[in-house]
Amino acid sequence: MAATTVSAMPPANESSPGQWVKKNLFNSTSGSIVTVVLGLISAYLGYRLFRFVFITGQWTAVKTNLTLFLVGPYPRVEPNNQLWRVVIQALAIAGAAGLFAGANSAATERKARAAGLEVTKETPLGLVRRFWSIILFVVVCLSFIHTVTPLLIVLGAIAVGVACFAGARLLPGNLGFVAGALAVVGAYQTVIGTAGAAWIPAALVLGVVAWQRAGKLVPAGLAGVAMKVGVVVVTAVVIKVIYSFFDYQAVGWEKWGGLLLTLTLAACATVFSFPIGLLLALARRSELPVIRWMATIYIEIIRGVPLITLLFMGQFLLGFFIGSTSISNVTRAIVAMTLFTAAYVAEIVRGGLQALPKGQTEAGQALGLAPTQTMRLIVLPQALRAVIPSMVGQFISMFKDTSLVFIVGLTEFLGVRDLIHGQPEFRAVGHAETLVFVAFGYWAFTFAMSRESQNLERKLGVGTR
Amino acid sequence: MTSTSVFADATKIAGTGDVMIDIENMNKWYGEFHALKSINMKVGRQEVVVVIGPSGSGKSTLIRCINRLEEHNDGTIVVDGVVLSNDVRNIQEIRRETGMVFQGFNLFPHLTILDNITLAPRQVRRIPKAEAEAHALELLERVKIPEQANKFPGQLSGGQQQRVAIARTLAMRPKVVLFDEPTSALDPEMVKEVLDTMQDLASEGMTMICVTHEMGFAREVADRVVFMADGEIVEVGTPEHFFTNPQEARTQLFLSQIL
Repeated sequence: MAATTVSAMPPANESSPGQWVKKNLFNSTSGSIVTVVLGLISAYLGYRLFRFVFITGQWTAVKTNLTLFLVGPYPRVEPNNQLWRVVIQALAIAGAAGLFAGANSAATERKARAAGLEVTKETPLGLVRRFWSIILFVVVCLSFIHTVTPLLIVLGAIAVGVACFAGARLLPGNLGFVAGALAVVGAYQTVIGTAGAAWIPAALVLGVVAWQRAGKLVPAGLAGVAMKVGVVVVTAVVIKVIYSFFDYQAVGWEKWGGLLLTLTLAACATVFSFPIGLLLALARRSELPVIRWMATIYIEIIRGVPLITLLFMGQFLLGFFIGSTSISNVTRAIVAMTLFTAAYVAEIVRGGLQALPKGQTEAGQALGLAPTQTMRLIVLPQALRAVIPSMVGQFISMFKDTSLVFIVGLTEFLGVRDLIHGQPEFRAVGHAETLVFVAFGYWAFTFAMSRESQNLERKLGVGTR
Repeated sequence: MTSTSVFADATKIAGTGDVMIDIENMNKWYGEFHALKSINMKVGRQEVVVVIGPSGSGKSTLIRCINRLEEHNDGTIVVDGVVLSNDVRNIQEIRRETGMVFQGFNLFPHLTILDNITLAPRQVRRIPKAEAEAHALELLERVKIPEQANKFPGQLSGGQQQRVAIARTLAMRPKVVLFDEPTSALDPEMVKEVLDTMQDLASEGMTMICVTHEMGFAREVADRVVFMADGEIVEVGTPEHFFTNPQEARTQLFLSQIL
């Protein structure tokens, strides 16, 4: 018996780099040929790219106009230099990111500890690995500038983010998330001011908070829902009244441009199109025919129309529907992109809903859960998890589609190139360089989105399947 | 018609005479197909009724009508005094009091075992978290897998999953539990652990209707065995009568094929 020792562990996979190369790159004659040929092609392309980036490229067009790329035609010439608002906005967004991450990590840890599971901590190195493409973009931008202020701003943003992360971990319940949402509102308010419809974001955030808080106090059933709606309406009205006392004019977002505008458009369209798309998907599966038809008609019409058409319609027809002509171009573009993306999100979500086995709904029903509870607690969490890849794909595609808003007179990240090459000194120089820079910028953000989606899938898939 | 035969009278309950489920003249069609034909059946409190029959005979449809996973077309179903109607609240009330265990377990894969069990008590009965969890752990103890509480369904074996499903159903403290072929999707070596759990439940006095192919279980645990074929109740009797002295030709044929 002594001869048969049963190993408790599978054999260790120890292969040296040399063995790996042999096994994966040169395991047969044809394999070796493919490796060599592709290797040569890559080496050549790499060499050309290296030469372009570091030797032949005329990067002055990008260097001189870096601020233009970041904020577009935003007012920044003395005596009306408003750039400080953008800086504060960036710091507030960094703070919001820290607050969200901190609150999220605290919540995850609480949950894991309650379940007696091991707590995995996020390390700074892990963060760098997750967002390396964006970090690279920031480093490249910094390398173009020879003043110290931008570096200080970046370091400041990191410091604010870290501080907020630590702070959010100490806050109880979901207060960290609320603080994060308020920081986003603050960031927006710094640039937008308080005039006009600027009260809406704050009302949205505090309305959601009021809804949640009220949920624990009111009775169940229709009366409770009515009371909650009442609380939300009162909150919104109070905020509107408070805002009406401050008619603080800052820089409206119709003056935004560059990366600032691109990111704003993409973020707003993502945040708004997700819930709308979700509701559309549910409506399309509704048992009430009128609701089902409306959703179907909406989805099919929107999906049958090019985004450019919708953007134009936003310019010419939105006032017709809403009866107001004082809506800014940016708002119109956001509305058009939101409505467009929502239709696609709806179909993606519907796919997820349909893929879920019927037994899940039946189990919920058999336990006595109400239809809305079954949907919220059982069906949606599983359906949405299943469609993360295609959903993020849609958002990535939408992120890049923001470049289309140039046709309605907005100067987003790509459109800045027209401003640059309209200047006499850059009329004939640096076209390729500015294009490469813009492409790199888009790639940096979309790649991070794609990585985050994989990350999210992994996280939500823990322990299942 | 065989359904008029005295052996097919499923309305004579065993025990005290306290009726828990009363099905009268119930019919169900799928399009043109007559799936259930004038079913009359009563189940008494604390009674265990086992429904057997060839596949496609309407066994599953019958119990799925009781908690309205399928809608019957005419006739009445009364569960513990509540008449099943199209009123959503009515359906909810019956579902709260009627547990169901499925062939495919249907655990919620995105929730831990503990959350699977506490979800309905907390959401439907508004029981506080701590109390619901204490009860859940008690139930897991009863189905003999307390150590799995914080795992996810995908990490458990089929037999363990089905026992969790039973615990999840019991967490609602139902008055009746409907079993829809609970062991059919299990590997043979796991069938026994689930049947043992069901037997424990029966001996504790739970009212149960089990659709199953486990004749051993029917023989040992059932108060009455109901044999269905082609959407009707063909023969009803005590297990003793049923397995030793079946009267109807269709019953005899079925038993000769499976025993």
